[in-house]
Amino acid sequence: MRNLLRAYRSLIKAALITFFEYRAQVIIWVISFIFPLVMMVVWLAIVSEAGQVSGWGRSDFVAYYVGAAIVHQFTQSWATWEWEEQIRTGDLSFKLLKPLDPFHHIFTQIVGSKLFLLTTVLPIVLGLIWLAPGINYTLSPARLAACVAAVIGGFMVSMLMSTAFGMLSFWTTQSGNLYGLWYGVGNFLSGFIAPLALFPAWMQKIALVMPFRSTMGLPVEILVGRLDWAGIWLGLGITAAWMTIFTIIYRLLWRRGIRHYDAVGA
Amino acid sequence: MSIQVEHLTRYYRVHRKEPGLRSSIRNLFHRRYECIKAVDDISFAIEQGEVVGFLGPNGAGKTTTLKMLAGLLHPTAGRAEVLGYTPHRREREYLKQITLVMGQRNQLFWDLPAIETFIVNQAIYGIPELQFRRTLDELVALLDLEPLLTKQVRKLSLGERMKCELAASLLHQPRVLFLDEPTLGLDVDAQSAIRDFIRCYSQEHSVTVLLTSHYMADVTALARRILVIDDGRLMYDGNLEALVESTAPYKLLRLTLQQPIDEIDLAALGQVERYEGLKVTIRVPRHSTTAVAARALARLPIADLTIEDPPIEKIISEVFHQGVVYA
Amino acid sequence: MTLRAYLRLLNIFYKNTLMSELEYRTSFTANVLTSLFWLVWAALSVRVFFFQTETIAGWTYNELLVVVGLFFTMNGLRQLFLQPNLSRLSEYVQMGTLDYILTKPINSQFLVSLRYIGVENCGDPLLGLALLGLALWRMGYTPGVIDVLLFLTLVASALVILYSFNLMIQTTTFWLINIRRADSLVWSLLEAGRFPVQFYTGWVRLALTVIVPVAFMTTFPAQALLGRLPAWIAAVALLMAGVLFLLASAFWRVGLRSYSGASS
Repeated sequence: MRNLLRAYRSLIKAALITFFEYRAQVIIWVISFIFPLVMMVVWLAIVSEAGQVSGWGRSDFVAYYVGAAIVHQFTQSWATWEWEEQIRTGDLSFKLLKPLDPFHHIFTQIVGSKLFLLTTVLPIVLGLIWLAPGINYTLSPARLAACVAAVIGGFMVSMLMSTAFGMLSFWTTQSGNLYGLWYGVGNFLSGFIAPLALFPAWMQKIALVMPFRSTMGLPVEILVGRLDWAGIWLGLGITAAWMTIFTIIYRLLWRRGIRHYDAVGA
Repeated sequence: MSIQVEHLTRYYRVHRKEPGLRSSIRNLFHRRYECIKAVDDISFAIEQGEVVGFLGPNGAGKTTTLKMLAGLLHPTAGRAEVLGYTPHRREREYLKQITLVMGQRNQLFWDLPAIETFIVNQAIYGIPELQFRRTLDELVALLDLEPLLTKQVRKLSLGERMKCELAASLLHQPRVLFLDEPTLGLDVDAQSAIRDFIRCYSQEHSVTVLLTSHYMADVTALARRILVIDDGRLMYDGNLEALVESTAPYKLLRLTLQQPIDEIDLAALGQVERYEGLKVTIRVPRHSTTAVAARALARLPIADLTIEDPPIEKIISEVFHQGVVYA
Repeated sequence: MTLRAYLRLLNIFYKNTLMSELEYRTSFTANVLTSLFWLVWAALSVRVFFFQTETIAGWTYNELLVVVGLFFTMNGLRQLFLQPNLSRLSEYVQMGTLDYILTKPINSQFLVSLRYIGVENCGDPLLGLALLGLALWRMGYTPGVIDVLLFLTLVASALVILYSFNLMIQTTTFWLINIRRADSLVWSLLEAGRFPVQFYTGWVRLALTVIVPVAFMTTFPAQALLGRLPAWIAAVALLMAGVLFLLASAFWRVGLRSYSGASS
């Protein structure tokens, strides 16, 4: 365990250094925050035409989607493509020779990028939010802690989910595409296209038990104060459950996949 | 005059970075730059049909000079003229008469047979069909390309790929060839094949060739005249033999003895470089080589004797250490 | 070189890429199915908005589908013609292949912009047009001849505008060597074109019309097809296409000058 921690420290540091080297990335990241905001714009257009939607007004949508934009940056993971690349090019073979499971390489690389966001991009975005009128998140320390926990949980869910999909690369070249489709379905159930509260009750029920809400809806709902403590605990519980489920799926697929990989002799 | 270079100079601004996260963060806001003189006031002239070797250690400025002549880089100061054109203007008529080949860089389409790249180049250079066929036939014969033409480039060996690169670069019958490390990374056989080709081709077509290489053998086999460059400055310009004469006015006498003898007896012949077992190497002044050899044969129990020039690598490195030696 | 020579080159280039693609036999069906999925996804996600209202900023569901279909068409054309080329630019610079391109007696901008074609994406524009047709059919609306002509003019200018915009962004690679995600950046900016610009307000709408040419990509052609666009906007689009093209070419030349280190 001590060795793992030491490896983590140096790997994450290396990832951070790489990100700092490419200054242009900062600008690109700031702009890619816009993505979920496009959805916000549509809802604002609807509100300005039809008035409040199920009790959601203009400022509610703004607060929700700005939160979503931030959470999205911290929870998304591109591990599937990373695995796909490593397996396709055979780089995985080199990683297998090292005493550290290849998962940790990909994990630390992505964590590094999140830390980079935390130190450089987040302050810029928070500054902009502070300047922009009308958005204020009032959070008790306990809720803030719950929100942070939900973001970390959401990141872990999407990390493990994308890793599980990455394992499919052992058998198909389409794992990235498949994850893309899965993610597309998830957009409906994560709270990205619309806050889940605006969906019909049956869809809300499905969304509640699926993993996608953990990666966006749950942290944002905590942030904008639309969830009571019972709802928070339930959400965090479901998040933890999905972390476990995807870990199990990933490890099972990994074991079969690596056997297949050895057999094919890639 | 084919190539004329006067006081050619090129500086680079490079960004300096110390290791570590802290300096990375500092770099995010403020970068420190340093000026590097890649090419520093170089002048030379090359006649049409000359084959000139460009020698120097890594980072000496060979590639930078070549790129300036090919029109890829603007000189910071000074002037270059090739075939009467100013290279960096990259006029079409100029580009049609030159070619640039860089070892280990690829212009061939990776997933297609090399012939497809040739056809694209035909269209780009506007080569008439008849001339294209004729040139291609010649190159195929000289380089032994026949079996390679229809194989995907990614399936070719490094040497085979370089042969195709050369063919692709010569289809438009350029008058000036810039070859940057054309044999880099190739095995010995492939190296000599490429070398032979360049020699044949340049003689046949009396093209001007400016060639850089790490491998001394490339240069000695191809170029009668060499330019030695180090740290951006021209250290030597002249023919190879003259360089050898002036820098190394000695030859190496290699003896194999029948029985061990005292080193003092050997020292009487010249400076002993090596004495191991029965093998001896002695440095002997150039002009008295034959006399010394005769004396050795007469006095010592010798099984075998050869006279050699010192290895060219050694001579070149001596040029670098001594400074400018104009012939 | 003459125009004919350039067209001949394009012909060779596209045959070339087609051949390389066949080498790998990229799963064409998988790509079309993926595109179909995203098309349905887009139509359904738009449907979600209409749970709550009949029109959004004056657009009905079917009219919005016209915009979505156009978005697929234009984005598909971008992936077909632009993206496979321009996203390679930073690779050319890093691998030194650009040196080969620059020593060729041919317009380098042409070679860099049109060398490859993203064959595997040829399904997207067709699917987009199909959705567009479906939406018109659901409305029971047939555009007139003038509408179609205006539409085609706008689509053509939009392609030139998109190209120029893309080229300008990619040209920055000469200064910012590592701009790996620039392509996804362009893409996420254009995402805004999924919806008509009327959805956006104030300076955002202005920016999407003037700076990021999203309005020209989908909103205006859709309006033209629906017979709601004043003809002068088509003239503006043509003018804008011409100006942007010249600007992008000029910027490309500035980039090249910087690459070769011409003291500026």
